[in-house]
Amino acid sequence: MSLPPHPRPLTSEDAAHFLRRTAFGATDAQIRALVGKNPRDVAREALRFDSRTAPGNPFDPSTGATPGAMLQLTRAAWLYELMYSPQPLRERLALTWSNHFVVGTDKVKNHPALAGYLGLLRRHAATPSFERFTLEVAQSPAMLRYLDNDLNRRGRPNENFARELLELFTVGIGTPGRPNYTEQDVREGARALTGWSFEGGRGNPRNTYLQTPRASFNPRQHDDGQKTYLGQTGRLGFEDVVHLAATHPQTAVFVSRKLHRTFLADTPDEAAVQGSAETFRRTGGNVGAVLEELLSSAAFYAPHSRARIIRGPVEYIVSAVRTLGGPKLEAKQLLNLAQTAGRMGQLLLQPDTVKGWDGGREWINDSALLTRLQVAAALSLGGTAPTLDAVPSDLALFGSETGPAQAALKGLNPKQRVYLALISPEFQLA
Amino acid sequence: MPDRRDFLKLSALAVAATTGMPGFLARAAAQAGGSKTLVVIQLTGGNDGLNTLVPYSNGAYYAARPNIAIPRKDVLTLTPDLGMHPALKPLMGLWDAGQLAWMENVGYPNPNRSHFASMAIWHTADPTQAGAEGWIGRVAEKIGDPFCASNLGGTTPLALRAETFSLPSIERVDTFQVKLPQGLDGALNRLLDAPREGEADYLLRATRQMMKNTARVQENVKKYRAGASYPEGRFAEQLQDAARLIAAGVGQRVLYVSLGGFDTHAGQRAEQDELLGTLAAGLSAFHADLEKQGLADDVIVMGFSEFGRRVAENASAGTDHGKGSVMFALGKGVRGGVHGSSPDLEDLSEGDIKYRQDFRGVYAEALARWLKLDDRAILGGTFQGPGWVA
Repeated sequence: MSLPPHPRPLTSEDAAHFLRRTAFGATDAQIRALVGKNPRDVAREALRFDSRTAPGNPFDPSTGATPGAMLQLTRAAWLYELMYSPQPLRERLALTWSNHFVVGTDKVKNHPALAGYLGLLRRHAATPSFERFTLEVAQSPAMLRYLDNDLNRRGRPNENFARELLELFTVGIGTPGRPNYTEQDVREGARALTGWSFEGGRGNPRNTYLQTPRASFNPRQHDDGQKTYLGQTGRLGFEDVVHLAATHPQTAVFVSRKLHRTFLADTPDEAAVQGSAETFRRTGGNVGAVLEELLSSAAFYAPHSRARIIRGPVEYIVSAVRTLGGPKLEAKQLLNLAQTAGRMGQLLLQPDTVKGWDGGREWINDSALLTRLQVAAALSLGGTAPTLDAVPSDLALFGSETGPAQAALKGLNPKQRVYLALISPEFQLA
Repeated sequence: MPDRRDFLKLSALAVAATTGMPGFLARAAAQAGGSKTLVVIQLTGGNDGLNTLVPYSNGAYYAARPNIAIPRKDVLTLTPDLGMHPALKPLMGLWDAGQLAWMENVGYPNPNRSHFASMAIWHTADPTQAGAEGWIGRVAEKIGDPFCASNLGGTTPLALRAETFSLPSIERVDTFQVKLPQGLDGALNRLLDAPREGEADYLLRATRQMMKNTARVQENVKKYRAGASYPEGRFAEQLQDAARLIAAGVGQRVLYVSLGGFDTHAGQRAEQDELLGTLAAGLSAFHADLEKQGLADDVIVMGFSEFGRRVAENASAGTDHGKGSVMFALGKGVRGGVHGSSPDLEDLSEGDIKYRQDFRGVYAEALARWLKLDDRAILGGTFQGPGWVA
């Protein structure tokens, strides 16, 4: 069953909820602009992406004097985009996909490769074809490098990408009693993926980190023998393997669950996940269609769906800035904040492992909470705190007009009130 | 400075944080009594056991690894058949003193080659992958005090997940303190006093707990006097923080430190050599520090990785995911030597060694013989260990 729609025009709390989930929060004016609108129209509008970016981005990674500086600029440039993009949902989705098709800057230290990868995540943010998206990521120099498929050659398999393609990018591991794939699939998949590598910009030598790498296929390194993969037998190649994995029925469930974790709950409702998976399969892996349905569903707007997602470090920082009306921050502050997100456990483009961040309660521990207190202070109280055009309303800060936090903050001056609001449990949830 | 002291005034509030946890404080008082500490080292990514504890007299080892085997002349000889990777040289003194133990051939039934499934099995001590709590989380619940087990680092591993509370992660001891701007304690008190539900309640409890934990650490951490010099780098910093916390005596029974990067699919020698060097230098400094602090009798270190690598090298001068591997332990409370038997490299399972020692037996000894806890209750069964705790 696909997901039933939310039947009513949006109230102000509905609008605030929608923007907390899809736009990292919003100002009062942005919330008001959605009140009374039809949920489907609102979702469709938010998902209509073009190639615009935030004006005035002060960071250009290609000016990095060293690979390390380039990486810092790459992170800061993306953080700027997350904070100020006119298409926040596109950036929200790019962040989600970077945590799905994971690459890490421990191995990918080449600017054009990272820029190409980020470009793919944005272009396919609400992709009409998950299979196409998977194929383009799989054949990007960033991924070829990160999971070693550039070293995967005929007779000399390297299984790294073949395994993660199944386990983390498409069908998922399944349950111990009912695995979605076998070790045989991993081995045969690796054979089918042989021969794909890239040329130029190997990334590690200092003088090539700005050189553009290009994906390449070498037929002599390709194993064109018979293979059996996910139940299909033939002389399978790269595209066949991606096709079989990306269109496998379990992939619809696996990807839908990830979208539900992004937009509905840290611990998703499996029946609702199955609903989205059905839409995914029916539309041939049209993620845009799945998202439009999800973001206008009764499940999305249900009262028990509110304030259920713990904002991650990047989301926390970006939400604070967007809720405060997008005050401009100094370049140095932005660079610092990108590093600070790392100290809270989310260094952009560098998850601990290829599985990515688990999110939810995993974001919360003593050190991370302490750092949230520091970020809140830096954005509200300190000497370099931005000046606000207007103090956000309770609705913008907490997503609700009545709640336990409001009463506690009466009588404070605006800066103190913003500070304590930002460290409240309510603000840290979406 | 209106910082920590103001928070100490909130101690009534901090105590209130525990009221959602039945019997919490009473149990803590009764069971936290032990004075021994276990430091767990996680080598993330699947450390190659064969190139760590090298079977240098075994022709099958050299045949399987023409490019990446450790040449016999480089091996640090321990026994007529086994020796350590040369990068582990800083640990030779501990070996000679009988304070370093290697556990051979450690694994679990139906091994899983996924990093994440396998790590979850080590974290939960549950090869059926049904468990949601970590084995150290269960230790904390048994003792009844979330602070009795802490992670050093940014994110808390699954091993430290508990059902009723969250266990702390301490990024740096020095910054583990709350500095509240002046005049806000009343409002913060009110903010955290109002009851919540669901995830908001979780965040509320975590915030209160954090305030209590930071106060507890900062009160006591000055008891530590620098005793040994540590190498540079995050891993060594975390070990030094572990030493500071142990010296502070704030009640931690288990401390957890991770070193990542062991997923050596390509160019393994360069990568693993560097990592093992980092590991050995850090541990050696940590041990020297504990000696200087007079704490060496009270602390042991136990290290593991989620799996070893395949016996044969791959074409990229690396290794793919394998099954069983080695574990190590060090400290005065350890029975030095090699425990268990080496894997038969000519009788493999899908190219991997066949494990003989269940890792839960190794855990069981740490729990029962070192921490004096009920290992069966924590591990959900009886597991035989190799006798590595003295």
